[in-house]
Amino acid sequence: MENVRSVGEVNLAAMDAQMEKFCLNCDFRDTPDCREAACLTGFARKVLKFAASRGILDIPGAAKLLPDQDFKPYYPEMIAAGLAETCRQCRECRDNHSPDCVISLVRRSLENMILTENIDYPGSVFAYLAAVKEKNPDLAAMLAKQLKSR
Amino acid sequence: MGQGIFKQKNGLYAVDVAAACGVLTPEQLTGLARLAAENNAFRVKMTTRQTMVVLLPPENTAAFKEALETLKLRVAPFGNVVRPVKACAGNTALCPRSLDDALELGIEIQERYLGRPVPKDFKIAVAGCPRGCTDPHCADFGVIAAGQGRFHVAVGGMGGGTRPRHGEIVARDIPRDKVFALLEYVLERFCALAEPREKLGRAIERLGLAAFRPPAEMTAAEAAPAADEEFIRFLQD
Repeated sequence: MENVRSVGEVNLAAMDAQMEKFCLNCDFRDTPDCREAACLTGFARKVLKFAASRGILDIPGAAKLLPDQDFKPYYPEMIAAGLAETCRQCRECRDNHSPDCVISLVRRSLENMILTENIDYPGSVFAYLAAVKEKNPDLAAMLAKQLKSR
Repeated sequence: MGQGIFKQKNGLYAVDVAAACGVLTPEQLTGLARLAAENNAFRVKMTTRQTMVVLLPPENTAAFKEALETLKLRVAPFGNVVRPVKACAGNTALCPRSLDDALELGIEIQERYLGRPVPKDFKIAVAGCPRGCTDPHCADFGVIAAGQGRFHVAVGGMGGGTRPRHGEIVARDIPRDKVFALLEYVLERFCALAEPREKLGRAIERLGLAAFRPPAEMTAAEAAPAADEEFIRFLQD
């Protein structure tokens, strides 16, 4: 596998570009029913915007605010592409992984679109792929394909 | 109190220069470079305690030391004293991963406590997040920012020696002002209970952590807000 991590600063815009695709395909886009705080995509994009505007990578307590009532259908291929971008941006903090890390918040938003429970992030991309495979082999295959595609 | 000036094998003297937790202004850095050159320094070496060692001919050490004061730098105290504080670049302007102003806290601790006599050298490390780039668990007194104005404190760590040990957490989620109260308390207990030249960690092993554990009111946790309030407002906008 290629080196899936980006070099240098975390590229928040690259993750947002993946999340924006969900908005472009959403029936609620530009309607009064678009409620970002209650939407997994909206939440992730707000996290990324907030982090970019403040120049931070951790938002204390934000993990507790993840929407849990967003049951919209999402395309697995787009989720895999989004997860692949979080893998590329992950700094692999391992034991020092923080659930309030903005990358983690985006990843959990994406997981919640398709998985019935979150993966306890092991702090490394390789171990994460193995964990995804256990929960959802099809998603893991798509994710691996996305990571290999660059 | 001893000073960090040591004769080397080659006859040069190593002068240990302390700044504000390793932070220098460009003026201080260029001034130090000028002083080093004027005094025929052989090399300058960064240290693990965020100080800088300047290697000088013996006849130049006094002039160098005196001129340091014009740069608002100083020779680090040495021996059985509170040593220069290590702090990470965690504050509102620098490290994006930091959860609080660790650098400012470290600098303030250093200003208040550097050089204070103790039974054995006392090292302090302040980290802006649990990643702990300054190794707070390997310090006699380690402070770890937990976010939203709260800090964890570990005591009795020592990263060096033949039997290194990790510090033990004695307080979680305490506010900034209590970090100072707790440090004061630990230093008092250390001076009262440790044998001469006994590290805090060894004294804890000998007497038990209870002898050094601060009273409950000093370690009472500050309740964390549910989440970053600024983010909540941003999210709901």
